[in-house]
Amino acid sequence: MTSSGATGVRPMPAAAGIGLRAPHVTRVLHEQPRIAWLEVHSENLFGAGGAMHVAIERIRVDYPLSLHGVGLSLGSADALDAGHLRRLAALVDRYEPELVSEHLCWGAIDGRHGNDLLPLPFTEEAVTLLVSRIGQVQDILRRELLVENVATYLRFRDGDYTEWDFVAEVVRRSGCGLLCDVNNIYVNGVNHDFDPLTYLRALPRKAVREIHLAGFTRKENLPVPLLIDSHSRRVDGKVWDLYAEAIAMFGPVPSLIEWDQDIPGLEVLMAEAAHAQEVLDARRVRAA
Amino acid sequence: MRAVSALHELQRGFLAALYDDREPGPLDAIAGNGLEPAARLRIYRRSCNENQTGALRTAFPAVRALVGEDFFDQTARGYRSAHPSRSGNLQAFGAHFADYLGSLPETRGLPYLPDVARLEWLRQEVALAADAESLSPDAFAQALIAIDGPLRIDLHPGVRLFASPHAVLTIWDYAMHPGEARLQLPEAGERVLLWREDGEVAMAALDAASFACVEALAQGRSLDDALAAACARKAGFDLAVCISGLVERGLLVALASLDCREEPGSCR
Repeated sequence: MTSSGATGVRPMPAAAGIGLRAPHVTRVLHEQPRIAWLEVHSENLFGAGGAMHVAIERIRVDYPLSLHGVGLSLGSADALDAGHLRRLAALVDRYEPELVSEHLCWGAIDGRHGNDLLPLPFTEEAVTLLVSRIGQVQDILRRELLVENVATYLRFRDGDYTEWDFVAEVVRRSGCGLLCDVNNIYVNGVNHDFDPLTYLRALPRKAVREIHLAGFTRKENLPVPLLIDSHSRRVDGKVWDLYAEAIAMFGPVPSLIEWDQDIPGLEVLMAEAAHAQEVLDARRVRAA
Repeated sequence: MRAVSALHELQRGFLAALYDDREPGPLDAIAGNGLEPAARLRIYRRSCNENQTGALRTAFPAVRALVGEDFFDQTARGYRSAHPSRSGNLQAFGAHFADYLGSLPETRGLPYLPDVARLEWLRQEVALAADAESLSPDAFAQALIAIDGPLRIDLHPGVRLFASPHAVLTIWDYAMHPGEARLQLPEAGERVLLWREDGEVAMAALDAASFACVEALAQGRSLDDALAAACARKAGFDLAVCISGLVERGLLVALASLDCREEPGSCR
């Protein structure tokens, strides 16, 4: 049905990369710091031209690249935004990224957008919808799409699946890749009271193509513990532990540090990436 | 007519709640698990508001500086309901913000404010406009010699023009780089040329004649027409200075012969 693994796509190195954000673009261009690979938000390249394209044209030469979308809204009950998909396809043609990803969520309905990663009910209806949409996207991009599990702050009463079975089912049936966000699994484990290891064990390990790591914040003064996937801090110790478990299960996988609010200096991000790299290297030593 | 699916219904209710605090949202469908469903939904109401308001803050920094953060955020809320986001790309959010500002009774005391917002939206357009190869001064001169008769000059896709009855560039500058001194607001309006230079948005005020000339070129009219338009504003307008200014800034991308039957304008 889909053409995953299209020829000509270079493999992403199974190493630690960094999400490239505006404050660091100039430095990366001029200093070409040692970073294994970079990821950018696809929508930041939706403009026809300008500084960001000039930067990525140059960065593309020196670094493996991942395009990570936040606005396609795969899980909208009505339809995919054809214009959005066309722009994404044009970017994929232009930059030939090693990886292309989106989120397992929805963000718009009836043409109105919330510009947020909104939760889906874990129903058969949602699985069927996502499988069909992912197929549509993979057909248009003529390559494999990775889908990312999102952090959520509520659960719907109706559901046919647990979250982990929902994610696994969508990935299996659509034949797409999985971008496993370890922080989101930890955050959801706290927010919805489950063991994150149960989640990891349920995932189709051969489909895991990338891992995301980020920092969360804690909402205080609530009757229940609640974590927000804020991308505003260092990766939590508990999430590093879970990451090591994930790498033990999945093997060395391209891993990314994300930081989107209160963005620190590039050194801080590189130190976080170095930490992830140690975990990856340790797994290789053990495997050898 | 096909019945709306359960998921469609759920998403409609959910999104309505993100845009309107009076909409309760699909509370019956949400599991509380120790927290009121409404409190859980509120987390999404806030982040939707924050994401969209954040996009407006990025696009309209001078407006924000002029009205203050509180009023800006309150205005952003109103704008969200009046003009909901139509794209998954937040760079597209804010196209109607200037008109919306102009419709508010609270901003009547700041008649220039909508035009400052228009200028800022044009800045965003310039920043994201397509790239194009500029004509070098040599290439321009050669092309000029090669073309016989009326000709058209194509401007870089990142060029924008904005004429305001207010001193919109002076006000923008003041808002972005406030000095010690109080702003002495010029009486006259300003005509602004916007373009991209080394990846940054650049702006300059033009005199009426130069503006008329560049505007005519931007409309695809002939060089003779552009000259005539400029001369109508100022006798003795120096076309060479105006055009070479554009060439030096890299704002011309092509010269083409224009099959034009119109009588070319002349300047005496």
